Amino acid sequence: MNAIAQDEAAVVIIGSGAGGGTMAYELTKAGIPVVVLEAGQHFALRDWVNDEWEAFGQMAWLDARTTSGSWRVSRDFPGLPAWLVKAVGGTTTHWAGATPRFLDYEFKAASTYGDIEGATLLDWPISLDDMAPYYDAAEKAMGSTHVHGRPPLPANNNYKVFANGAERVGYTEYATGPYGTNAEPYDGRPGSIQDGFNFQGDKHGSKWSTLVREIPRAVQTGLCDLRPQSHVVNISHDAEGRANAVIYVDGEGNLQSQAARVVCVAGNSIETARLLLLSDSAMFPNGLANSSDQVGRNYMRHLTGSMYAWFDKPVNFHRGETMAGIIKDEVYNNPDRGFVGGYYMETLALGPAFMAAFLEPGGWGPDFANMMDHYQNMAGMWIVGEDMPQSTNRITLSETTDQHGMPVANVHFDDHPNDVAMRDYAYEKAEALYASVGAIGTHRTPPYPSTHNLGTCRMSERPEDGVVNKWGQAHDVANLFISDGAVMTTGAAANPTLTIVALAIRQAEYLAGELKSGTL
Amino acid sequence: MRVTRRSVLMGTASAAVVGASVLPGQVTAGIIKVSANSADKPMLVRMVQVVYPHAQFPVGCYERTADAIMAAADQSAADAVTFTSGMADLRNVGFEDMDDAAALAHMESIADTPFFQMVRGKTVVTLYNDHEVWGILGYEGASFDQGGYINRGFNDLDWLPDPRVDYL
Repeated sequence: MNAIAQDEAAVVIIGSGAGGGTMAYELTKAGIPVVVLEAGQHFALRDWVNDEWEAFGQMAWLDARTTSGSWRVSRDFPGLPAWLVKAVGGTTTHWAGATPRFLDYEFKAASTYGDIEGATLLDWPISLDDMAPYYDAAEKAMGSTHVHGRPPLPANNNYKVFANGAERVGYTEYATGPYGTNAEPYDGRPGSIQDGFNFQGDKHGSKWSTLVREIPRAVQTGLCDLRPQSHVVNISHDAEGRANAVIYVDGEGNLQSQAARVVCVAGNSIETARLLLLSDSAMFPNGLANSSDQVGRNYMRHLTGSMYAWFDKPVNFHRGETMAGIIKDEVYNNPDRGFVGGYYMETLALGPAFMAAFLEPGGWGPDFANMMDHYQNMAGMWIVGEDMPQSTNRITLSETTDQHGMPVANVHFDDHPNDVAMRDYAYEKAEALYASVGAIGTHRTPPYPSTHNLGTCRMSERPEDGVVNKWGQAHDVANLFISDGAVMTTGAAANPTLTIVALAIRQAEYLAGELKSGTL
Repeated sequence: MRVTRRSVLMGTASAAVVGASVLPGQVTAGIIKVSANSADKPMLVRMVQVVYPHAQFPVGCYERTADAIMAAADQSAADAVTFTSGMADLRNVGFEDMDDAAALAHMESIADTPFFQMVRGKTVVTLYNDHEVWGILGYEGASFDQGGYINRGFNDLDWLPDPRVDYL
């Protein structure tokens, strides 16, 4: 690996997850050297553990955060608004694997849904047509099942219940994917052994992550200087307002500076917004690239909710690929349902340790114990739908500080009435689905700490409406790019990882062109 | 709102310094080390059984959880005081002699206290992380080292028809 001198103005990528890891590979593949600053450690597959709490302690971003707002997560998990990873590979080491594309209308939420009181809807400055070639590239990179000639995963036990229920209530668009885990060997990685530990890092390596694909390939080019345990605390700029250095704390606690020609921020929506807010200066008193006052606003997390159902016979839903079951029938816009936008239903299973913590947070007593007693006979699904962007749902700097003395992110969130209406509707549909295959009990599980963190630096045609342009380039700072889900103008219903990767491939192509033409 | 040790510990106030109340009931003298006080353990085991009642869990699962709670209570003076005074409260109301219904009703009456939340919070991440409990609930734990479930029943559900896996 080529070390890049700290006084050499480099392309600096902050974060190594879906966005940052993809940027690193795409840019080095195009011959452009990059420095990757990753806050977490560099684990190998053998380091992962098949144990929910132990893996959580190993991987999760456990630095302090605070919460506010009326969302239930703030009550149940006040210090843990999001369930993200601090490690090389970022949250791609934890993601389950569902890879649906956004739909055409979801790029045009404002014009499709019209005026929704309290929502700050905006059309994306790009369309599905613009994204189609990059979705193709992302699906091939991630090895999505069901597309580009790749076979589907087989049905696991949880899927059998889910799909039979789907059929009986009249749904037609159900399958075991698309899913970013190999059903058979592909791209140098093995097929799934259905070990059931998707969220804990996947020791087998059949699940796509930037840890197993993009990062090692970037390093192999000899052009990627990967620096784990490098926690970025500030981006500085020159007299012209162009980013010129990235300040970070290294693994020994030393404060380091890396000169920068271009900075790509991919710290996941919460930390990305926090970093810009932490990078205030005389020229940018509200935070870097924040003349619009939009940095941190319009934070979205998908409405989410889960339904667990139990039966009088065993299911054993802990066996197999966790989220290899998707129903698309409810993803369309029809306000007659009482809300705009749509939602997916996706299979989900937890072990008893996490089930006890998340099934009914704070729950106890005979009813709770009775639900846990049915563990082996449980089936489960996650509901993931589009939530409304709201200006007041936002990341701000907290009065609490982290281990480096820096203000942590406060995550404020209130459910929009549209979110509540969609969740209630989806719970009813999920109950009907499980009732149709003989459920003897069901439970409506509230949202978990957010795994889909979107918005906060949204893409907009006009600089006053957002933070970045259609390439993810800051309106205010030409050599500052946002390369993660923070750029999403609206959240759509789909799991976001595929779209983050597709956007990063597209951004890297643009950035490489700008660098080669000398524009940047 | 009146600031008390208990309200502060429940997170309803912050940065307040208040003195611990005098421990009611049993007189404690000398060094307090919760995890060394085996006299409290049977009542704690009873409490955990009432809060998370599973008829099929052997008492050993609950005893291991009680040990973990007591070890956690030694992490800070505030936690040790919360635990010790909470146990004294239980003794003073004769909790150990209550029948199941009365014991459950008493737990409901103290559910908002920091003592209850401390015990409940530690229990939920300990009891259900106990490998004997996993086996009883039908969970098989680590699977990678056994080759996953691809040949061990990931698709052995036989009481429903095999569904299609691809889109129509």
